[in-house]
Amino acid sequence: MEQIIQTLILGLALGGVFALMGSGLSLVFGVMRIVNLAHPSLIIAGAYATYWAFKLWGIDPLVMLPVAAIILAAIGVLLYKLVFEREARSAKYSEMTVLLTFATAMIVEGALGGMFTNTQRVTSPSYATDAIFIGNIFIPTGQLYAGIVSLLIISALALFLKYSRFGNAIRATTQNREAAELLGVNVNLVCIMSFAIGIGLAGAAGSLVSFVFSFFPAKHWEWVAVLMSLVVLGGMGSILGTVIASFMLCVVAAFVGAYVGATWSTMTFFLALFLILLIRPQGLFGEKPELA
Amino acid sequence: MPELLDVSSLTAGYGDGPAILDGAHLTVQPGKVHCIIGPNGAGKSTLLKAICGMLKIRKGDVKFKGESLKGLRPDQILRKGICFVPQERALFPKMTVRENLRMGGYSLADKSGLERAIDEIEERFPILRERRDQHAGTMSGGQQQTLAMARTLIVKPDIVMLDEPSLGLAPKIVQEMFDIMKVMASEGITILLVEQNALMGLKNADWGVVLDLGRTLFEGPAAEVMADPRIQELYLGGKKAA
Ligand SMILES: Nc1ncnc2c1ncn2[C@@H]1O[C@H](COP(=O)(O)OP(=O)(O)O)[C@@H](O)[C@H]1O
Ligand SMILES: [Mg+2]
Repeated sequence: MEQIIQTLILGLALGGVFALMGSGLSLVFGVMRIVNLAHPSLIIAGAYATYWAFKLWGIDPLVMLPVAAIILAAIGVLLYKLVFEREARSAKYSEMTVLLTFATAMIVEGALGGMFTNTQRVTSPSYATDAIFIGNIFIPTGQLYAGIVSLLIISALALFLKYSRFGNAIRATTQNREAAELLGVNVNLVCIMSFAIGIGLAGAAGSLVSFVFSFFPAKHWEWVAVLMSLVVLGGMGSILGTVIASFMLCVVAAFVGAYVGATWSTMTFFLALFLILLIRPQGLFGEKPELA
Repeated sequence: MPELLDVSSLTAGYGDGPAILDGAHLTVQPGKVHCIIGPNGAGKSTLLKAICGMLKIRKGDVKFKGESLKGLRPDQILRKGICFVPQERALFPKMTVRENLRMGGYSLADKSGLERAIDEIEERFPILRERRDQHAGTMSGGQQQTLAMARTLIVKPDIVMLDEPSLGLAPKIVQEMFDIMKVMASEGITILLVEQNALMGLKNADWGVVLDLGRTLFEGPAAEVMADPRIQELYLGGKKAA
């Protein structure tokens, strides 16, 4: 029994972090129908910013988080303006954007490798290696903090999307771009801002990831498939779906890791992605593909 | 008195594609219901899209209150007082009815009266109040069309353009939609309606416009259009007299 609870807690803690990692990807897909393969590489960029801020100046990762988010959001605006904006009216939009995000991922990886080498890094504030004990059950403090901060950020995002005027414009554009335009929404501005928020979320996730996992420039390839499985299971573009999918899959992966074998844990995500695409391609909360 | 809206020898099309409209014209009298009829593919939807700014005006002109709308974006034309409800109704399926109504006021510079205006609309259309917290996509076709039409009222438009509001609705519901439209017209809102069912559209209209192959063939009082033997032959099934 204890081991079951223990496994559940570890799964949930990671679920929060992956939910944050996936939510920016989901937002960008929802608004622009861009499958941003560069998203995980930008999370790694955020992780490096956090790592060096801690290493050089002793800045706590949680303090660095908003800074990383803003830096990455600015990079997001630049990226959108330089790379994606001109594709907006292209007839081969989906093909082009997939290629462009793939190229972006390679460039980000190359740049990070060039600057920081391929050494494995992990930010090590004191809480990263601590644990809280409740009886015989332990909760790694770092994962707990990361999970809680992730959920706070996602809640803030959800409230912004639900209740602010601009958040409503973003949701409206996601659901019916032409209608939003007809009602006076500046759809191009919505695209730029959503891209900035999405990449900003990658930066924030990077800060948390930097002390939860060890990372190196090419690590993002591992996460592409993991995040895709979350976003697809949740229903492409549904942030709530991504969050629920993330908790589900991380808990399942934790149990697979504990009872089947650690090497099978990551396989959970790939297998899930495969099965979802076969059985329910619209995901848990997505529209049927033909209606999308 | 000048026409409220004056479309003259209009040429327009999609992107760099061929001209779909070529020589469309139309005059719109304030407070009247105008019905555009014509066969499938005639360019009726395209005409409404060109008027509301979704398509570029290549040649000719669209004048609203004597002022050209050439080169204006849809949101600018909306702010001038022309509202467009496209065939697909332009709703946000996963936003609530109330949120959909609020989006209707997105272009308003002054938001202070927005919630009041929405309350008033809910009062007029009780079904929308009943369903206020329900996702728009879960409502019936008639309710969705009601929402789309009611939503235009928020910006107090001069002209409302409706593209086939009857599409996919049961006959009884269709009559409800036409009744809403007529009430809107009685309040001084000018209606520009595209209708696939020509006879039904003209019966509910004051003015008829016949469009074919991107050109206006004929326009005049709805009763005259209905009575015209050529129009009857081509579009009204040939025998039913008005
Ligand atoms: N989005 C589009 N892109 C290119 N051509 C279009 C588009 N929509 C309609 N058309 C073409 O424009 C013509 C007129 O269409 P439309 O205005 O929808 O006709 P109607 O509403 O009278 O049935 C058709 O030949 C159609 O193929
Ligand atoms: Mg049409």
